[in-house]
Parts: sequence; structure tokens; C-alpha cells
Amino acid sequence: MIECPSCNHREFVGTLFCGECGTRLVHASPIPTMSIAPDKISKEANATKPSPPAGPDLSSGALLELRVVSSGDVISLLGRDNFTLGRSIEGQAVIPDVDLAKYDAYDQGISRMHAELRVEQDGVFVMDLDSANGTIVNGKRIKGDSGSVIHHGDIIQLGRLRLQIISQRTKGSR
Amino acid sequence: MSVEKDYYTLLRVPRNATTEQIRRAFREAAHRLHPDKNVQLGETELFLEVSKAYETLIDDDQRAAYDEELAAAAIAFAAASPFHCTILNSRNHLLKISEPQVHYILLDVFPSEDLPEIRPPINLSIVIDRSTSMRGKRMDQVRAAVLAILQDLHLDDTASITAFSDRAEVIVSPDQAKIIATARARLSLLQAGGGTEIAQGLTTGLDEIHQTFSKEGVNHLILLTDGRTYGDEDLCLELADQAAAAGITINCVGIGSDWSDRLLDEIASRTGGHVTFLNTPQAVSDLLHSIYDSLSQIVASKLQIDGALGQQVDLRSAYRLLPEPMPLGDSFPMTLGHLPRQGSIRLLLELVIHPLSGAEEITLAHLHLSGDLLGADSETKTLPIDVSLPISSETDPKPPPKEISSALNMLALYKIQEKARHEVELGQSAQAARRLENLATQLLAAGERDLAKAALHEAVQLSRSRRFSTEGEKTLKYGTRALLLPSPASKS
Repeated sequence: MIECPSCNHREFVGTLFCGECGTRLVHASPIPTMSIAPDKISKEANATKPSPPAGPDLSSGALLELRVVSSGDVISLLGRDNFTLGRSIEGQAVIPDVDLAKYDAYDQGISRMHAELRVEQDGVFVMDLDSANGTIVNGKRIKGDSGSVIHHGDIIQLGRLRLQIISQRTKGSR
Repeated sequence: MSVEKDYYTLLRVPRNATTEQIRRAFREAAHRLHPDKNVQLGETELFLEVSKAYETLIDDDQRAAYDEELAAAAIAFAAASPFHCTILNSRNHLLKISEPQVHYILLDVFPSEDLPEIRPPINLSIVIDRSTSMRGKRMDQVRAAVLAILQDLHLDDTASITAFSDRAEVIVSPDQAKIIATARARLSLLQAGGGTEIAQGLTTGLDEIHQTFSKEGVNHLILLTDGRTYGDEDLCLELADQAAAAGITINCVGIGSDWSDRLLDEIASRTGGHVTFLNTPQAVSDLLHSIYDSLSQIVASKLQIDGALGQQVDLRSAYRLLPEPMPLGDSFPMTLGHLPRQGSIRLLLELVIHPLSGAEEITLAHLHLSGDLLGADSETKTLPIDVSLPISSETDPKPPPKEISSALNMLALYKIQEKARHEVELGQSAQAARRLENLATQLLAAGERDLAKAALHEAVQLSRSRRFSTEGEKTLKYGTRALLLPSPASKS
């Protein structure tokens, strides 16, 4: 059985979405396992790693990583092609795919469902989910429903929290 | 030899059945069909066939020869079939584990490309609810919409209009439908009044369709209703089954919010049709036109999928995603309705596979598709569909195909809505309200603002009155169901 990271409902191996709360269960992981959970967030090993625009290697299998600028933590985004960013609170039924609660999300002005990252054929897109404080990419506030293209090294700012995109698939990175 | 009525299907055992299984299946079938006790016509013949199947399969040599023959026939058959089929698996192999696992299959049925491009004649029966609640705007809109369809009829099309309340009446007969002035005059006599007895309307509507039944064409019934029927639900379903057997597909259109979605779903589902929810009657004209247009694109009707699942395999759910999303029953045969020239009929099957012992490969399903080509000889065409997967102790590192994950993503939303309704019926309205709030968040993330708003609205409604509003439950059900329709980019 696998367990839904959001509501702890148990499902058979191979299930892709939790039957209880609809959360996507990550597929590409070893047998009974969980989806991306907050504690998957790994500390960047040390400062000898080259800093992003030069391009650190992505951990195997991840299409995309987010580097929290203030702390240097790297969050791997695994196993799917869209991720919601936000913060969880006690008792909330749905948690975002990438839970930023650890990073003082509330004080930083991050909404519960703040933004969405989407990996598509022609690039990575970020979309604001009607958040209270908005989403800023490289200093520019993004608007509209269509989503904005982002590239390797770009800075996404949710409220006040700054995240840097590390990606293999966007142009200009190796 | 016939592929669709092969001995394995006849005995309802998988192709790799053990001798013991075959023996058991035969004993069970014999019990059911034995000439000493059967009553239904044709069962004696069936019994003889089953006996022949058993004699062949129980003997190892005969069975091997038969298997070879069957395989050759299947290949020849698939090549000659006017249908073809593609299968997408959620994983490329199953896991060797000692617990049940879930596997998803996306199955597309296409017509062969070299079918002649003919517009099939359309034999249409429109059945209109004339109960008191239809009075005024609703009836005016319906009347105008129906007249517009009659004006568009091609020479070889036939149509009839039936109206029903507690009893049914043919308002425009197929002959009158050909003369627009007469049809208009007849339709103006159509006034609302009385109760709603859907079975009455269906009976008369189907009678009309049978009278002008088109062997080369599409036979289709559209039921427009805004009310609940009482006491004749079983008869309605019986009529739906009869229609399906004759190759007639029924589309149900629910106007307003006071109709029984469960009954209309069941009627449409049994015939391979679908259900549309019209909040306001204004849209009825566009809807009828789009149905009529889609009928002229049909190349085959009476599509059906039948067969058996592998030994350790259960079907947990089945949905049709294309041409119109619709939940299907969880057993075979499944009625799929009409096959359009463009696009496909797409099914999403959710299978549970019980622990596997030793084997390197498992047969998930042994199915066959059948259908009648329009304009061709009346012979039913079939296509065998086998799905098997290797078994491995390693996980498949590849993420599931995008078509499957996006369909399941939307299906998850549809199922949350179903769960919430179920919970309300059990009196757990607080839990249902929480579920709807969750649904709203996810709908918002999917960019469905209006539906999200509707879900939140219903959550508030639930905490106040402990039940759904009739409008809200339909908005959410048919709204989330419509999300199952794959986006145009992934249709091919």
C-alpha cells in the first residue's frame, strides 16, 4: 500500500491520485512510498557546489529544482509536470505540492495556494494562483492566467520569499 | 471460424486458464444452461456450443491446435477489421509484490482510414417533456430549437417529435416533419401541462424510430426533460436496454435543476449516449444542432466491448472520455454507442490486480470490440483486443503517459464530487462540506474558477441546510465530468 502524503489515506500500489482527497501520488519512486513531502527538501551539501547560473547538477530524475535564496536549501521537484507552491496550515485538507511552510511562509506573505509551476514541451511556466501578495519573476510582477516562461537561473519571488529556478531543460543551461 | 465467439469467451475463462479452471467453468455453465432446466430460447444451442468448447479445451493437443488457429484468425481479422485500437498503459510493467496493485489503461478505438466518406442518413426521434414545469420560456425555446433542426434535415433523413406528460403523443410524424409548414403548425399545438412519465415518452419515441429504422444510417433518440419521473424508472431502463440492443443511442438533456440525474445517466449510459445539463433553456438550440451535426459524422454504430479480464484482475471503474465523457458500468459488455469518423472513442479503465505468483507476464484482459459499419453490409464487424503486461521486481522509472495522468487528475475531481454527494446521503454533511472546499481549491489550481466558486457555494449551502442545492449538485457533477474531455491537443 502507499500512503497519501496529504491525508494519510492508503491506496494500492500504482494508484496515481488519492481517492480520498485527489492529491497526486508520485509514481516514480520505489515501492511503498510517499509523494513529495516537506521533509524531502534537502540541504544543499556545502558551499563548494557551484552556484546556480553556472548550474549545479540536478539530482537524478528531477526535472526542476528550486533553490531557496535565503537559506540555500534546494527543493527537488520530482515525478510530475506541474507543482503548486504554497504553505500548509494545521488541519488544511489540501497541501500544496511544494510546501514552503518551513521558510516562514506566513511572515513572508505566501498564500496557501500561491503559484503553480508547469513543465511543458516548450519550457517551464509559472502562474500566479490569485495569491494575496502576487508572484514576481526577475523583478516583474506576472499577470494573467496564461503563465510566464521561466528559465534556468530566474528568480521567482512569492510574497517576499525568493526562489531560484534550476533546470536542465530550459535554454542556455547544460 | 469466429474470433469473437471463441471457446474461451464462451466459457468465460482467460486464454491461459488452467485445466481445472476450464473444468470448473464448464460445470458452472452446464449448470446454468442444461437442457433439462433451461427455459430461454437458444440456450440449448448455447449449451451444445459450450460443450464443444469444453471438449476442445480440456484436451491438451486439441487445445494447442485450436490456440494456433485462433491466433492466425485473430491476426487476419485485425488486418481486415474496419476498426483499430491503440492501448496506453499507466506503467510498462507490473510489480512482483504480495499486495494488490492498480493499473490504468487508456483505450482508443478509431475507424479505419479507408472507409468511404459518406454522410449517413439520420433517423432522429426527439422526445419532449411537456409537463407543466416546461410552460413558458422553456417550451418556447425547445419548440424553436426543434423546428430549426427539422428545417436542416437532409432528404434522406427522417425525424419525428414526440411529447409526453402522463401520456405520450406524436406531435410531428416522420411524414409531417418533411413539410416545414405542417411541422410548424403541429409544433405550435404543443402546449405544456400535466406530469412527467418518461417511460411513456420513451415508448412512443422508440416506436417512431423503429418505424423509420435506418439500416444504413444512425438511429438516435434525444430526450429533453425538466422533471422527475415516479414509479416508471425500471421500465425506462428496460426501454434503454431494448434501444441499445437495436443500435439506438439515447442522449438525455436535463433542463433546469429538478430532474433525476441518476436516472438520465443510467438511461444514456446503457445505450452509449450521454447526458447534458442545461441550466437555462437558451442553449438548447445550439445543443440540438451540435448533436445533429455530430450524427452526420458517424461511421459505425452499436459499438460494444465485451470479453473477460485476466484471472487475478478486477475492473474497478470504467469511463468513456471521448467523444463525450460518461461513466460506464463496471462489467462487460459495455455499450459505447456511435463511432465518429474523426477522433475516437476513448476509454479509461481502472484495474486492480491481485498478487501475482511467479509468472513473467500477465494477461490483463481479453476483449473484443464489435460494431456495425453504416452503409455497409449489415454484418457486425469485430476486433479482438488483448492487453498483457510483463511483470518485474523493479519499479518503472518512467512517469505515466501524460494522457493518463491528466485524465486521472480530472477524474479525481469528479470522484470527490461523487463522494461528497454520497456523504450527504449518509448524513455526513460536515465532512462533505470539507470535501467540497478541498475540491474548490483543486479546481482553482486547475484554472476552473467558476466551478470552484460553485463548489464553495455548495460547501456553504451544505453547512446551512445539510443538503446540496439541486442546481449545485448538477453544476458540480456535469461540470467536473466535462473536465474529463481531453484537451484538443491530446486527442490524436
